[in-house]
Amino acid sequence: MSEKPHAGHDEHDHGHGHGSVFIQHHYDDAQHQFDAGKLGIWLFLAQEVLFFSALFVAYILYRHHHTEIYAYAHKYLDTKMGAINTAVLIFSSLTAAWAVRAAQLRQKKLLIACIATTLACACAFLVIKYFEYTHKIHEHLLFGERFDPCISSGGTPLANMNNSCPGSKSTIQWDFNARTTQTPRGAATEGCFPDVALDLEPQRPGVQLDCKVFEVSGATTVKDGKATFTEKSRKEIGPRCFDPVFGPGGGLSLAPGAEHKDVFPCWKPNHQPGVCRPGWYFRWTCEGDKCKAPAGGEGPFQTLSACNEQRGGKEGQLKADGTPWVSDCSHGKASAFVVEYGDHALRSSNDLRIAVDCKTPPTAAAPADPFAEVGQTPAVGKSQIATTPRPTHADEKAALYAGPPPENTSMFFTIYFAMTGLHGVHVLIGVFIFIWLLIRSVKGHFTPDYFGPIDFAALYWHIVDLIWIFLFPLMYLIH
Amino acid sequence: MANAHDAHEEHGISHVASTKVLLGTGGSLLLLTIITVAATKVDFGPNINLAIAMFIAVIKATLVVLFFMHLKYDKIFHSVIFLSALLAAALFVGFTLMDTGQYQNTNIWDLNNPPAAPIGPRPVSG
Repeated sequence: MSEKPHAGHDEHDHGHGHGSVFIQHHYDDAQHQFDAGKLGIWLFLAQEVLFFSALFVAYILYRHHHTEIYAYAHKYLDTKMGAINTAVLIFSSLTAAWAVRAAQLRQKKLLIACIATTLACACAFLVIKYFEYTHKIHEHLLFGERFDPCISSGGTPLANMNNSCPGSKSTIQWDFNARTTQTPRGAATEGCFPDVALDLEPQRPGVQLDCKVFEVSGATTVKDGKATFTEKSRKEIGPRCFDPVFGPGGGLSLAPGAEHKDVFPCWKPNHQPGVCRPGWYFRWTCEGDKCKAPAGGEGPFQTLSACNEQRGGKEGQLKADGTPWVSDCSHGKASAFVVEYGDHALRSSNDLRIAVDCKTPPTAAAPADPFAEVGQTPAVGKSQIATTPRPTHADEKAALYAGPPPENTSMFFTIYFAMTGLHGVHVLIGVFIFIWLLIRSVKGHFTPDYFGPIDFAALYWHIVDLIWIFLFPLMYLIH
Repeated sequence: MANAHDAHEEHGISHVASTKVLLGTGGSLLLLTIITVAATKVDFGPNINLAIAMFIAVIKATLVVLFFMHLKYDKIFHSVIFLSALLAAALFVGFTLMDTGQYQNTNIWDLNNPPAAPIGPRPVSG
């Protein structure tokens, strides 16, 4: 530090004798011009700090309120790419600082090399950013309403809300370990209609469903004590996700014993969460020993078993005279509702074991309870959940990343693109500045008494590096 | 700092950074980048991890400002300008966060507290 500046001092004296042609006449001398420029660039840098601080405020405020979004969404970002870009920027900052030194010491070749290296690093940064951005565009990891990813942040395939993922324009075939009774739509089913329920654990992360609700009209016939329901027609009545009360007049109500847990969270078309509980819902009324559909479709929803219980019997029980109880349950028309999974119901194939078939036409949901057998639970049933060992922190994180994004995750990418985009624009401007400096340094414009442009551009470049030093841990290194 | 500044005032237009300082700063920055990436892989709890990452980022920023940006050897007025910008930014953040508890929660869907249940019977044997 003591020798080199003296060398510079000698060079300076040499250069001073000639005087740079770039010293403007309205300045007293080279020092005066340099100081004015330096004050200007520092005022500009102060403005840059305030400029970016607005975005940092947005980041801090949103992260403060929605820790879960940041914890989830940062997994979408490639830490390796971010780390490489950090190293590239730091190295370019070093060469930029060295360029100033080279200009001060009249080391023309070194100056050109330093500026060229800085320029190359700036371009490399932009190329890496280009790959990151195109990947995000491809995965629909964008801002606002354009955020509609096909994968979870842990890499699990998702069906997105706009049904735009490759291969997701499909219907769902149930394959709960091949225990589903695949009955063609409208076919007769033996026995009384059971209460239909898919006993899945609904609140698990990763289960995001989409439903269609149909009103089904058909006829029931009784033969040898067994009833069959034949579907005649159906019409879609509900939204894809239905609200707690649906049906004509909101007549369907919570059945006795039903719990909140029997619903699935799902996406409505307007991206609002809703609920979904696939199955068949029959309306019955109890009339003496018999159950029948209520007239006019009014009245509270009642299940057959509830109806039977009201009559004092249960399926499989023995009556007082020793004969088995047989439900006598269907007369005339029954009115039914079917709730089916919609077009892009699949949010997590692993959890639900749903097979997606993109080509075959939809197979109707069986009008019977696929899990009706006594003592059996579906593949992902509550009992299974209950016996599963308590998940570790890592397991919980893995489950979180495998699941669908939390609500408003698009905000992470809105902030991500705003911050990295504005930073990227600064890098792009830096590229043009360094091209200009490269040309001028090749022409030999810079001398120890005129190197202001190099110094000021380097200062600008350092502040760009400085912003990235904070952006990198804030975006890529969220724990 | 004052000595260094004074020592070079008369020699050149501005302070010339030594190669040792430049390489030392650049090397430290790269080393700190590796440390901050490695620190993320260890679970200290989200708040401590964030604090570590920010602490390292502040050290890196200080290194850049002092040595690469020559603020250590520069006129004190430039430091005043820069620090006042940081102060303004801190006030900006601080005042915005002051009433942050007053905001409405924008999460509509709460997994632990779902909306009222729809219709649907419990599963029973058929």
